[in-house]
Amino acid sequence: MIKKIEDLNYYELLEISTDASSQDIHRAYDRIRKIYEPNSIALYSLFSAEETTSINQRIEDAYRTLVYEESRKRYDALLRQSHQPPPATAAAPLAEKRYQAQPVQPSLSLHSDNRYLKNAEPAQEPLPPPMPAVVIPTPQPIPPTITEFTGSVLKALREQRSITVRTLADMTKLGTRYIDFIEAESFSKLPARPYLRGFLVLYAKALGYESERLVNEYLKRYDAVMNPPKQK
Amino acid sequence: MIEIQDALRKKEIWAVGGGKGGIGKSLITGNIGITLARLKKRVLLVDADLGGANLHTTLGIGVPEMTLSDFLNRRVETIQEVIIKTSIPNLSLVSGAQDFLDAANPNFAQKARLLRHLETLDADYILLDLGAGTSFNILDFFLFADHGILVVLPEPTAIENAYRFIKSAFYRRFKKVVSSQNIKDLIDAAMDQKNSMGIRTPYDLIERIKQLEPESGEGLELEMMKFRPKLIVNQVRTKNDIQIGFSMKSACQKYFGINLEYLGYVEYDDCVWQSIRSKRPLAIEYPYSRPARCIERIVHNVLRKEQLTASMLY
Ligand SMILES: Nc1ncnc2c1ncn2[C@@H]1O[C@H](COP(=O)(O)OP(=O)(O)OP(=O)(O)O)[C@@H](O)[C@H]1O
Ligand SMILES: [Mg+2]
Repeated sequence: MIKKIEDLNYYELLEISTDASSQDIHRAYDRIRKIYEPNSIALYSLFSAEETTSINQRIEDAYRTLVYEESRKRYDALLRQSHQPPPATAAAPLAEKRYQAQPVQPSLSLHSDNRYLKNAEPAQEPLPPPMPAVVIPTPQPIPPTITEFTGSVLKALREQRSITVRTLADMTKLGTRYIDFIEAESFSKLPARPYLRGFLVLYAKALGYESERLVNEYLKRYDAVMNPPKQK
Repeated sequence: MIEIQDALRKKEIWAVGGGKGGIGKSLITGNIGITLARLKKRVLLVDADLGGANLHTTLGIGVPEMTLSDFLNRRVETIQEVIIKTSIPNLSLVSGAQDFLDAANPNFAQKARLLRHLETLDADYILLDLGAGTSFNILDFFLFADHGILVVLPEPTAIENAYRFIKSAFYRRFKKVVSSQNIKDLIDAAMDQKNSMGIRTPYDLIERIKQLEPESGEGLELEMMKFRPKLIVNQVRTKNDIQIGFSMKSACQKYFGINLEYLGYVEYDDCVWQSIRSKRPLAIEYPYSRPARCIERIVHNVLRKEQLTASMLY
């Protein structure tokens, strides 16, 4: 009855009904991409970076399959074959519908049928190479020798661990630009404070540190420049 | 007796919580109360933040003489005796415990007595302002309510805590409906995030229970569908902040299998602390401000059983 995320079919993944128009599909794709935006602070504590990447990849697959009439037809046929009649009612949000929907059936594995569709899919781009497996270390207490977490200290710590900006970007799902800005303390180019905080938590985790002190000290420097105390 | 039956029939209890302190729970509870009272509903606000009561402040009231501690310590017989009328028509308040040292952890009998008395009260809406955190007492108040509302801020720590809150509340609810001790033990073990059984989410838990006791597993799936916590994102400054609610809703659904309903957001505005500083409630002092309007919209969404949808924004 309840399905794990990897068992959702493309319609369920995009949260649309099986009779969605192509306009619905476009809109749903836009909406769901915003929801699973890799930097979203609503995601990192539930999904690992790899999981977020793979969800986004599946969203792409779902969109590209459903948006072309030909491939959508093939996919629908496949859905029917798997004895899983797509829910017919429109409009109601998927969450509700999915529950009333069907008895438990052998679920469609998105990965296998995806490959099947891919062969026949003209407009499909090749998959990007698989993500290198990045191991996020368990957080360690911060050694007392570090006196303050400035941008350049962060950079030095990163280099000490032989982590390139690129690798750090992969580990944290932050753009390389933002990592450069953080390290250069280009505060005005960084996003709003709540986001920056999220970025710094990810940065700290990637370095293998508990985030609290790092984040607070960095933000103090940020505030000194961006939110100076008001003169009385 | 007839009065009590009457009260039982139409009353609705809303609880406002959140895993974190200082995120606007009291502000939102108080002003939801004022908004409902303006709609001519009889509203009782209860400061159930047993550790740090301050709901009266968001209403611009000083520390009242009679508080929940008088009730909890049995200095008074019924909860009616600690209800105070506010200057706002239709709105009354049970102020929070101020001197009850163990108040943050009332014992089982005290909590049961409080809930029992709340159930007999005559009002259209009873709003509970909960303390910060995910202690059992807070979760129990949250689960006791008809509508459990969670507040988050658009920042990672508040969001993390909200997820923890949702998960803990859900497991606690689970535990109350199963009778088998084995399953209860399994749920306890699953609550430890680092459990050795690889149970990371309620999904995993249900899967495991289904293997052990298929019937209990199905019952729990039903529980999962009935559990519909509600979400408010407070202190919103950008469109991206509003988006966080949609992301949390979808992530909760896809990761936990829990239906989180996104009621709406409250914009950040200096008028909020100005109203608190001037000791006048936001919805009274600045009724046309953006945050006050946002709260109105949230109230309407609960009353109409609606949620925020993305198409309302873009
Ligand atoms: N939308 C908003 N815009 C501006 N400031 C806000 C907003 N919401 C809350 N605040 C500020 O946050 C402060 C804390 O709010 P409030 O006391 O309601 O939080 P709380 O969650 O009840 O805290 P506690 O956990 O201590 O009970 C308020 O005094 C106010 O200054
Ligand atoms: Mg409070």
